[in-house]
Amino acid sequence: MATEVMVEKWSGEVSVVSIGATKAEGGTRSSVIKVGGQKALPYLFEEGQLPYRPVIAYEVWDISPQDWPQELISAYGAVLKDPLAWAQECVNKYKAELLCLRLQGAHPESGNKSPQQAAEFVSQLLKKVSVPLIITGCGDDAKDNAVLPACCEAAKGERILVGSAVQDNYKTLAAAALADGHNIIAESPIDINIAKQLNILISDMGLALERIVINPTIGALGYGLEYAYSIMERARLAALAGDKTVASPFICFVGQEAWRAKEAKTLAKEMPNWGPEKERGIAWEAITSSALIQAGADILVMRHPLAIEKVQKYIGQLMEG
Amino acid sequence: MENFKITFLPDNKTVSVKKDTTILSAAISAGVYINSACGGDGVCGHCKVILKKGKVLSQSTGILSVQEKSQGIHLACQSAIQGDCEVEVLAASRVNFEKEDFERSGLKGQGVYSQVEEIEPFLSASSGDFKDYSLARKIYLELPKPDLEDKISDLERVYRQLKRSANIELLETPLANIRTLGELLRDSDWKITVTLAVRNNTAEIILIEPGDTSERNFGVCFDIGTTTLSGQLVDLNTKKVLGTKAAYNKQASFGSDVITRIVYARDPDGLTKLHAAVCEGMNEIIHELTAQHQVDLNEVTCVICAGNTTMIHLLLRIDPTFIRKEPYIATANFLPVSRASDAGVKINPRGLLYCMPGVASYVGADVTSGVLSSGLYKQKDLCLLIDIGTNGEIVLGSQDFMVASAASAGPAFEGSGVACGMRAARGAIEEVKISPAAKEVSYKTIANEKPRGICGSGYIDLISQMLSAGVLDKDGKIKAIDHPRIRKTDLGREFVVVFKAESQTGEDIVITETDIDNLKRAKAAIYAAASILVKHMGLEFENVKQVIIAGGFGTSIRMESAVRIGLLPDLPRERFQFVGNSSLAGASQSLLSWDALRKCDEIAKKITYFELSTEGAYMEEYMAALFFPHTDLAKFPSLRRL
Repeated sequence: MATEVMVEKWSGEVSVVSIGATKAEGGTRSSVIKVGGQKALPYLFEEGQLPYRPVIAYEVWDISPQDWPQELISAYGAVLKDPLAWAQECVNKYKAELLCLRLQGAHPESGNKSPQQAAEFVSQLLKKVSVPLIITGCGDDAKDNAVLPACCEAAKGERILVGSAVQDNYKTLAAAALADGHNIIAESPIDINIAKQLNILISDMGLALERIVINPTIGALGYGLEYAYSIMERARLAALAGDKTVASPFICFVGQEAWRAKEAKTLAKEMPNWGPEKERGIAWEAITSSALIQAGADILVMRHPLAIEKVQKYIGQLMEG
Repeated sequence: MENFKITFLPDNKTVSVKKDTTILSAAISAGVYINSACGGDGVCGHCKVILKKGKVLSQSTGILSVQEKSQGIHLACQSAIQGDCEVEVLAASRVNFEKEDFERSGLKGQGVYSQVEEIEPFLSASSGDFKDYSLARKIYLELPKPDLEDKISDLERVYRQLKRSANIELLETPLANIRTLGELLRDSDWKITVTLAVRNNTAEIILIEPGDTSERNFGVCFDIGTTTLSGQLVDLNTKKVLGTKAAYNKQASFGSDVITRIVYARDPDGLTKLHAAVCEGMNEIIHELTAQHQVDLNEVTCVICAGNTTMIHLLLRIDPTFIRKEPYIATANFLPVSRASDAGVKINPRGLLYCMPGVASYVGADVTSGVLSSGLYKQKDLCLLIDIGTNGEIVLGSQDFMVASAASAGPAFEGSGVACGMRAARGAIEEVKISPAAKEVSYKTIANEKPRGICGSGYIDLISQMLSAGVLDKDGKIKAIDHPRIRKTDLGREFVVVFKAESQTGEDIVITETDIDNLKRAKAAIYAAASILVKHMGLEFENVKQVIIAGGFGTSIRMESAVRIGLLPDLPRERFQFVGNSSLAGASQSLLSWDALRKCDEIAKKITYFELSTEGAYMEEYMAALFFPHTDLAKFPSLRRL
């Protein structure tokens, strides 16, 4: 007997967020990345359109990373010492279509760069690479509130994606994104209600829901991945059912989470039966990413070029249907 | 009939009473408190006094030793005054208010203790559709004197006369009243007033007084809330409410919610202290009401209480421990009628205490009482009763079925635990308007007095207006606008509603972000409980044809504001109806009609209790409701454009 495929019809859809602006749109980027727009659950092509493929953003910093595991450092080599060269290498050598710049150097404990220095770095980066940009702060609220508006201004017209706005600190960043024509990352602590509330609060300030990307906060494989998965799934179900306030694309910071797992970074000589660390970390990052892609992730911020390569291949297979 | 003067020492209070009045009764009239655990039956021996001067006629009880008798000690309840007297109340017999006056200074600091004050009753007392038959009736009788032709006993003579003049049968009389009857009838020249109370479907003669006192018969009803005690003095003859007062429940010093109080009840003396605290509060309210309306405490013959299950347990000094422990069982939901004095409530020592019946551990007599007074039980269409209190209680149903739930909302809507909160009394801000452009505030207070604070309905209006005027974000944070009314403090921002120059207290009246957080949690708990209960029955809010809002948080409530903040579901506003303190209204209805009280028993048996604490979806719904109006804006379609 033939199996009848049940096809669900959805009334809602995920908003389309455009990152980057070409010359015609007032920016200097060579391309525009579009994410979102899904009218069905992930990869159920029979149920509705899934117009854009998930994209991977290479994570780069404005300083040489201090706490990255050996495997990551050796993957890039000496270029990590020069952040601008590192970013260029991602684009030129690894064909990155999107970069995620983390302004770690502004952190009071990692160099404490001034807002002007951070903005200057952003200006230079925009000259050196032509792909669209995501810019995130250093994680210190007070400092980010000074640094990110300066960087937004430096990138005015480039339609970057900037983050992260959180429930207790979103106004400064939302105002800056609004003023300079950027998109914003709204971060919530694995909580669908707060994700929705933050979207509403930001849109109340005048920034359209179509300019918000949700960072649902994720955990790596073995560190709460299922929890993040279920929150993303619930949010996507609500979005497809017509709830505009939660119908934003997702950005998942996989690199930072996966490479924090002890399974990813512990050396083989410490744990001989875990196998070589060279493969383990990459696998950890790739598996975490692919699970989140199935949950509906739109942007994955990743670190290891080999992990990225594997996930790109996986995305390609998924999109073939 | 002769009157005598009796003076009580050491208070040095004098009162004039009729011959044959007991010393205990005279003491009550004089406002001198004497212990009387047995309520004047002459069995507990707690009411010892020394007769310094004058003459009394004492019944022999066997309680006093020969030595005590030789010292002039008498039992106040067994001694009938026969002339002007001077009486010293023994230290051991004095109700020691100082001992119960615990931590009062501490309470003041928390804003919990405050004087008993007049509040506006929303509903006037009436027995409604029920037959007038108040819980205590006084009937004046002139008995034919016995002679050789008519030799029936004194008691039968009283019964016969009651049958003849009031057609009342099925009578009972406690032994204590019979003991003194012979003397009393003859001294009063066979003219007496009997007080009949209903108990176990029979009438009991609780009190026999010489002469005609039938004109003076009063009852008090209470709603014992976790945060607020409300009491009402009712003239049982005219059915008129003489006054309504409220005070904060002094148990609050042992915890603001029922759970901490249940835990505290297990401490050494915990139950005693909790019991004393509620009694003291009730006695103060009774005292204030009777003093203001020139009613003698002896003329108050019955008290009826509604309240949540824990409060009723504590009032009757029943250990409430098992209410808190799974599977959450109350010791009793239907409670026997007892002597008010047994519970420590000071009215006529022979007066009775009635408690309205409860449903379950967290749906108590306040809910059944509210269902009674709101008439939900006889509605054809689906109704939702939402009682906004420290425990938010929700009843969904109609004449066909009723299901109830309770959610812990906290005391914010009752004006406790918020910076400038107060109950709905004179000077409470109950309506607010904020102009969107200039952010100027106009307000209305209860009785149009200068503002003293903000009551629950005022807070509902205030938050709604702050949202509409763009002063407040939907998550309850005050916006950082440069405006003299918006100030930053160590604990976040605050909004000045009334500057001190205009207030009665000489202090600014403000709302802080912490207050808003407390109010947000309270409204979320209530909304979530209602929403889950409706869902549990397989229904939607849209199916509810009438929403009855009850609670003592105001004299009115602006429905638009209550929906705007997400306290009430977004239904057509004409479906909402505000009924005030429905629990107190049900109690006063029952005070005036035994039928109403019996109806309440039926209601209690008919309500099905739905436990929310074991319902996973409740937490989910609560979290989603922690936003103004709600995280899911689709649930509030009329507010979408905002």
